[in-house]
Amino acid sequence: MPQLHDVDYTLEYPYTRTTGPVIGPFLTGLRDGRILGQRCGDRVLCPPMEFDPDTFATLVPDLVEVGPGGEVENWTWVAEPSAKHPFDRPFGFAFIKLDGADTALVHAVDTGGDPEAMSTGMRVQAQFRDERHGSVADVYFVPEADAAQQVIEPGDEPVTITEHLIGLRINEPLYPHRARFAQGLLDGKIIGQRSPVTGKVYVPGRGYDNMSRVLMGESDEVEVSDVGTVVAFTELNPVQYYGQTETEPYVRCSILFDGTDQPVIGIDIRDMTVDEMRVGMRMRCIWRDPEERSVEDIDNRYGNIPETVYARFELTGEPDVPADQLKEHSW
Amino acid sequence: MMQLAEDVAIVAFSQTPSHAHFNDSEPAMIMPCVNSVVEQVGMDRHDIDFTIAGSCDYLSGMPFAFVMNIDAVGAWPPVYESHVEMDGAWALFEGFVRLQSGDIDTVLVSGSGKCSPGSYREGFSLQTDPYVHAPIGLDPRTQAGFQAQALIAAGRATERDFAEVVARSHANAKNNPYAQLSGDLSVDDLLAEPYVQQPLRRLDCPPTSDGAAAMVIARADRARELCDNPVWIRAIDHRIDSHHPTLRDLTDSPSARIAAERVGLHNGPVDIAELTVTYSPEEIVLRDALGLNGDTAVNPSGGPLTGSPFMAVGLTRVIELARAIRNGDGGRGVAHASSGPALQQNLLCVLEGDR
Repeated sequence: MPQLHDVDYTLEYPYTRTTGPVIGPFLTGLRDGRILGQRCGDRVLCPPMEFDPDTFATLVPDLVEVGPGGEVENWTWVAEPSAKHPFDRPFGFAFIKLDGADTALVHAVDTGGDPEAMSTGMRVQAQFRDERHGSVADVYFVPEADAAQQVIEPGDEPVTITEHLIGLRINEPLYPHRARFAQGLLDGKIIGQRSPVTGKVYVPGRGYDNMSRVLMGESDEVEVSDVGTVVAFTELNPVQYYGQTETEPYVRCSILFDGTDQPVIGIDIRDMTVDEMRVGMRMRCIWRDPEERSVEDIDNRYGNIPETVYARFELTGEPDVPADQLKEHSW
Repeated sequence: MMQLAEDVAIVAFSQTPSHAHFNDSEPAMIMPCVNSVVEQVGMDRHDIDFTIAGSCDYLSGMPFAFVMNIDAVGAWPPVYESHVEMDGAWALFEGFVRLQSGDIDTVLVSGSGKCSPGSYREGFSLQTDPYVHAPIGLDPRTQAGFQAQALIAAGRATERDFAEVVARSHANAKNNPYAQLSGDLSVDDLLAEPYVQQPLRRLDCPPTSDGAAAMVIARADRARELCDNPVWIRAIDHRIDSHHPTLRDLTDSPSARIAAERVGLHNGPVDIAELTVTYSPEEIVLRDALGLNGDTAVNPSGGPLTGSPFMAVGLTRVIELARAIRNGDGGRGVAHASSGPALQQNLLCVLEGDR
């Protein structure tokens, strides 16, 4: 039989940023195997900046090659790398003052996992990755004695856009009320929560009544009907954003189940066109066979009644509910 | 020294314990705090003039999570409401400034965060420069490691000093029912632990925490109506250092120094300092930058090393100080909140008891 599971997903956002007149050449340089600094009076800033960090005056772009060797000014050893770090084995992060620069770059030093190899004042040298994308992560550093000779093939176009896919893995148990709601769906039941203050029934319950500011628990839970009334609908024409899995238009509706006070939103209808939908139409949930039900798409934040638990919603044959009786629930 | 148009006092406050994992939603975590402060002032929720919250959507793992949090503050019928993507201490700052205009009397302030479902090291690496730091995952613990190393290199502190901060914080937390960690730790035992971020060890770093806090602040006349023992907010200031750690002297905190001057920190006794010491070396930097000496009790609550629900932890410092002043542990003190890595941003709030 299908079972409940912990929430485990990665929330991701793809960021693209323009690079500007100073960072652009810096990232182009890294892609091409060179490190550039920005002149600022008689100093050279690396990482380069568009402004004088002391006076905040705008600097005319004037980049000069620095490194590839440099000296460690400060360091710390990362015993437990995160998923976002440049190495998956322990490594050092360091302030590296590159030869020819007057300020230090923060970057990673790979000593093969040996913290004893790190020290303030040590000499390091840049190494470039085989695959380079015009990112600060195209480069890393090693102790000077470990540096390999590299032949880097320059790219064609200057780097004017940088792409950064950020992401955070979210991993936690289902909250108790979410677990009971999800188990209900696996059992072919819709579980709601009845406010102890107002008597209103919310589906799915959130663990509280936000109108009365009271927490709600298992003793407030009720099984509600799987027959209800359409209170709102729309047709979705999927925009192909990052992470989109839908390709064809489809109908999504909100259904107010009998005996409840809050419609369940986001119910997907695959076997009717938007022209066939009406506010007020009476529909019944036709559940999937128990062994075919899944609540994998239900987490603590999203997921009401997913398609993975029902086969379809079908008309009950009852007359429509007049729309003006539903206006309090039009969402 | 700032001149205030309106005197403002804290009239009610509430906090959750610092939870290793709160197994329910963020609104469910905030709601009891809000209900508690509303009950303490004996007001109808909708008679509170302005509502402001501090939280972090990315930490919550959900776009527009702050909108969901409004469920907890009682927003129907609609209320006058705002949000900062910052610790609740900055929500307090905005609420304090809002009261200075003199047209409203009361503000409900909250702060909340759940670190346990995600990874604060990964999440907060996104506070750094998006071109040269974030793509290599430069995380706050790494930057705390740099600060620790800089203190050692300058002869300003030793690893033993860091361990002493940890031991004292855990010992102080034994009296704090909201603390997540507490107990008697030996400095030698702490120094025998392995590094997680050389030169930092596990307990030099904060625990992973979930929690929330709320308070009601009010203009002077209303404050006296609402409670018998208002705690006065005499001044607040917020200053920022460069986000490039290599352009900073990490052994000092110029922004905290300026903020201390702006709030007139030493224009009176500083009996208590509740500091956002997220990593143990930060206490050494802050004591120096704020000019604190042996007359000041630093983090009698145990501080963030014993419970660190990000986005509530700074507001919690203000609450811990207000509680200590109400309890008569001191007459005047300073609460400190921090944002950004290695004390990049510092907010100071001077509180004083009723006279």
